[in-house]
Amino acid sequence: MAGMSALLREYGLMVGVNALCTAVCLLASPFTALTDLVMVYLVGILFVALRGQRGPSVFSSFLSVLCFNFFFVPPRYTFAVDHPQYVVTFLVMLAVALTISHLAVRVRVQAEAAKRAEVAAETERLRSSLLSAVSHELKTPLTAIIGSASSLLQAPGAGSGRGREMLDNIREEAERLSRLVHNLIETTRLESGAVRLKKEPYPIEDVIGTALERLDQPLAGREVRTELPEDLPLVPVDPVLMELVFVNLIENVLRHGAGGSAIEISARPVAGALEVSVADRGPGLSAEPVERVFEKFFKGGSAGGGMGLGLAICKAVVEAHGGTISAGNRPGGGAVLAMRLPLAKVP
Amino acid sequence: MEGSRTVLIVDDEPPILRFLRAALETAGFAVAEAASGRRALDLAALRKPDVILLDLGLPDMDGLEVIGRLREWTAAPIIVVTVRGSESDKIAGLDRGADDYLTKPFGVPELLARIRVALRHAQRRREDPEPVYRRGELVIDLAAHRVWQRKKELRLSPLQYALLSALVRNAGRVVAQRKLLQELWPEGGSSPEALRILVHQTRHRIEPEPARPRFLKTEPAVGYRLEVPDDE
Repeated sequence: MAGMSALLREYGLMVGVNALCTAVCLLASPFTALTDLVMVYLVGILFVALRGQRGPSVFSSFLSVLCFNFFFVPPRYTFAVDHPQYVVTFLVMLAVALTISHLAVRVRVQAEAAKRAEVAAETERLRSSLLSAVSHELKTPLTAIIGSASSLLQAPGAGSGRGREMLDNIREEAERLSRLVHNLIETTRLESGAVRLKKEPYPIEDVIGTALERLDQPLAGREVRTELPEDLPLVPVDPVLMELVFVNLIENVLRHGAGGSAIEISARPVAGALEVSVADRGPGLSAEPVERVFEKFFKGGSAGGGMGLGLAICKAVVEAHGGTISAGNRPGGGAVLAMRLPLAKVP
Repeated sequence: MEGSRTVLIVDDEPPILRFLRAALETAGFAVAEAASGRRALDLAALRKPDVILLDLGLPDMDGLEVIGRLREWTAAPIIVVTVRGSESDKIAGLDRGADDYLTKPFGVPELLARIRVALRHAQRRREDPEPVYRRGELVIDLAAHRVWQRKKELRLSPLQYALLSALVRNAGRVVAQRKLLQELWPEGGSSPEALRILVHQTRHRIEPEPARPRFLKTEPAVGYRLEVPDDE
């Protein structure tokens, strides 16, 4: 109801402005021509119209004409008119008044829209510069930690046995933390709409290859079986974000699919889409219902679980591509995460 | 073993400078440090470094401008250091004349490998190109126009061969997508998509496991890199 009372206030203000104009005209009328008084009313209308409300400004136009007629046009203090030429004056006055109020309202509305757009753009700029500042602040110490640990590992006579083991631990965990930070930042970016997909047709094998390369060390000693026919159709993806999806899917298997079973990655074309799946023969998913694994901060239950962001970001990226992702348990044991990516470019 | 090669490190974060200095000095390099773009330009003129390691986020100048100013007078290899997610910076850096890039966070082996590749290419500009590339079971002979995998000669299309030859000449170094397009299709009329298909097909010829390439690596959204040969 706040809008209603604000509108009533505008009408009140309009009547006040009109009364003020009439008072000024009454004082000035002994010394000025009748037509000059019209100007006073037009100034009043302009003032009301610039406040940006269409109703009060249109109403003000009519009220001004009536007041002008009643108080000043002979015979005064009646609505009667001596000469037909005054009718023309009224019509012209009304037309000018309505035009002024229309234009003034429009200017005001446009100015407000421009201001809103500016505020929105400013918020957007702020958000993305804040994100890159946070990203920089978090990644710099991680770079120094990873670099320093790997520097010690490289140094001649680097500790053996326990010392070396600890250095490996520092480096590997800092790298994991760095992937987590990256996930966190990308999730925020996606949710805030600060990310624009740069989709281009790619062989999915290429994207999977870069993800496997990034996980080279965590994957050491783990069998990876790929089933990617050479003639698969290209699929429109943002290569950087889609790499992140595969990194997270594979990391998820590494963390939860205990037992060291092979990681199986396969793709096949289905109607209008490419179906890509990452599966293992581990203990499977215990979530009930399984789709809960895609919820943010959902923890898989088994030891060493992550923050529960990995699969949430997979879902966000796949959906941003117009695709779908699902989770399930395989007959004969193991988990499968499968996505469908549309082959045609979706706007 | 690196002789008295000098690396100029340009970064405004002391913890990063500290570990880079330690790692590079341990590897036998002389190190110069600059924490701003202006200081980097002065030191580059003064110390004539053999390699420049440049972080793009500097307090006083745009890192891309530093590359431009350096390229006005020096051909010393520049390796750009950026964080993940800034692919457009990497492309812009390469376009301005940088030779390669490193993505934070990185380990020391990766750092030293990039620097050695950059030094080798800087030297090769003055000498004859290496005619034969060998890595594992892959042999590419540029003089004879022949490629072998596991001692078996491969039959490649002229474009597949041209791709490999462009990458061999830059072995170990990233080659931007745009540069490959210009080199392989000098009259234009091609597309990044055609290049991706060409890379895909070439991988299926030379890679034993194309989904986990050992030779021809993709640098997402930027370009491609042929891994350094065994003898280097």
